[in-house]
Amino acid sequence: MERIIAVDISGRHRHNSRYLMVCAAVSLSVSGGHVKQIHGVNIKPFVSDNPPEVVDVVQMIERTVEGMGGVIIVAEEGDLFNQPEWLSNSMFTASFKYPESLSERMGIEIAHHISLSSRNLLLDPRSWEPIKDNL
Amino acid sequence: MKDVILVQRRIPRCSESENQRKLAELRELARAGNYNVVSEVIQTRNPDRQYQVGKGKAEEVAELALSEKPAKIIFYNPLSVTQVYNLSEMCKCEVIDKFQLILEIFASRATTRRSRMQVELAKLEYELPRARKIVSLLKMEERPGFMGLGGYEDSYEQDVKKRISRIKKELSTGQRDSENLRGYRHSKGFSLLSLAGYTNAGKSTLFRSLVDENVEVENMLFTTLSPTTRYLNINGRWTLLTDTVGFIEDLPHFLVDAFRSTLEDVFRADIILLVVDISEPVDVIRKKLAVSHEIFWEQLEKATIISAINKADRLSPEELSSRLKSIAYLAPNPVVVSAKTGEGLDELKDIIYSHLPEWKRFTLELPMSGESMSAVSWLFEEGIVHSINYGNTVVMDVEARNEVYHKARSLEKRLSFR
Repeated sequence: MERIIAVDISGRHRHNSRYLMVCAAVSLSVSGGHVKQIHGVNIKPFVSDNPPEVVDVVQMIERTVEGMGGVIIVAEEGDLFNQPEWLSNSMFTASFKYPESLSERMGIEIAHHISLSSRNLLLDPRSWEPIKDNL
Repeated sequence: MKDVILVQRRIPRCSESENQRKLAELRELARAGNYNVVSEVIQTRNPDRQYQVGKGKAEEVAELALSEKPAKIIFYNPLSVTQVYNLSEMCKCEVIDKFQLILEIFASRATTRRSRMQVELAKLEYELPRARKIVSLLKMEERPGFMGLGGYEDSYEQDVKKRISRIKKELSTGQRDSENLRGYRHSKGFSLLSLAGYTNAGKSTLFRSLVDENVEVENMLFTTLSPTTRYLNINGRWTLLTDTVGFIEDLPHFLVDAFRSTLEDVFRADIILLVVDISEPVDVIRKKLAVSHEIFWEQLEKATIISAINKADRLSPEELSSRLKSIAYLAPNPVVVSAKTGEGLDELKDIIYSHLPEWKRFTLELPMSGESMSAVSWLFEEGIVHSINYGNTVVMDVEARNEVYHKARSLEKRLSFR
């Protein structure tokens, strides 16, 4: 069984002349074909006037995984602008790799849904429904 | 055997072992395409728009082509239409890339009408984005007779599109038929097993050892192109084992899609036997397993993966256990086997059995009558009869799937009330 942190960033496109991004990190124990256990989730929102560059992405990921324990970070190639793995790995202080197994991809999918739904929640506070007293 | 020259443009700072492996794969592909490699040209640089390799290197290839007189020059890297045109003009020889070579191999191995259509579809899909460019290059040296004057870039592209949609329509009817066949096999109580894995991992050898039959096995890539399905009895349970076409690294999507029907058997199986060649270097195994996982991730429905760690006879026990440790996270449910010597096949069957859809074991008591006897023979066909005692009544200890269990119970009730 392997401990990984699966990471995904949502919102790397312009929205109202700014970039509102949410990075989600999910700490998991995985085997070759299954996710065995989810240990925790960290979510961190980021805002920028300019489109993020590779170094910004690395920084966002490192800030989000802070305090999650020293295990390997896994993120999709696309998040790191399709750089070769050795180059991305050299930019991180922790160990980093692109997904290989089915379970690692599953972890990234979980992180993706978390980051996307958190971003939607932050972008639209009007959707917050008040709970009536008589309910 | 025709002679060919292989050309590989290597990406700067890419690891040497990976480059070597890719070139070896191209060499194997050329061999599978019935070509004899007379020379290999390698250059490390970023791609050139005109020639893929640098102009100087392209001239070197042209000189080599002049002296060696090969039938073809095969590039590892994908070539654009302009690059193919420029290179063939310079070398005065046919120039193709790896994907065209794969298509050629597929075309030569395609035996059924369906697989021939798939090859044609893959060829057309490869050609489609290039159709306009091909015509405009041909127009550069226009001669009377080539479709006359006018904007035929469009009409040629339209022709290709029409042919694609016609083939797709025909293939989809065939696909429905095979889906029905699979549904029928399931309803008959067969569990579906599929062999999957990288090409040349030993899938066909394992298939042959498991079903004890002579399936074409060769030390060559893409020996299996049409899937072969056979009965396989696993501890009394009947399953259908399918041997499928091997995966290959960087296989473009138009090829994967075109060969969906051969891979579909993999994706619709209850259990996938992922065959791994453990005798290769660890980084190669890891890379190949990662490619397999990537293909599964895109297509897999509901299936259990069992990793058959093949060619274990080529390694010492210490080496084997260290390799197993380093690939453990990519190989779910591993079983060490040697398809060649037959070692580990019983363990493999046991683990397959433990993952098969569950059957019910029950005792059945039927009165002595003609109708009961036909029920007994039906149960022998549909399930596993562990024991049978003929006395005043027939008492059977049977294992069968749920539908059979319910049918047998209602039969028992009906017959005993008579």
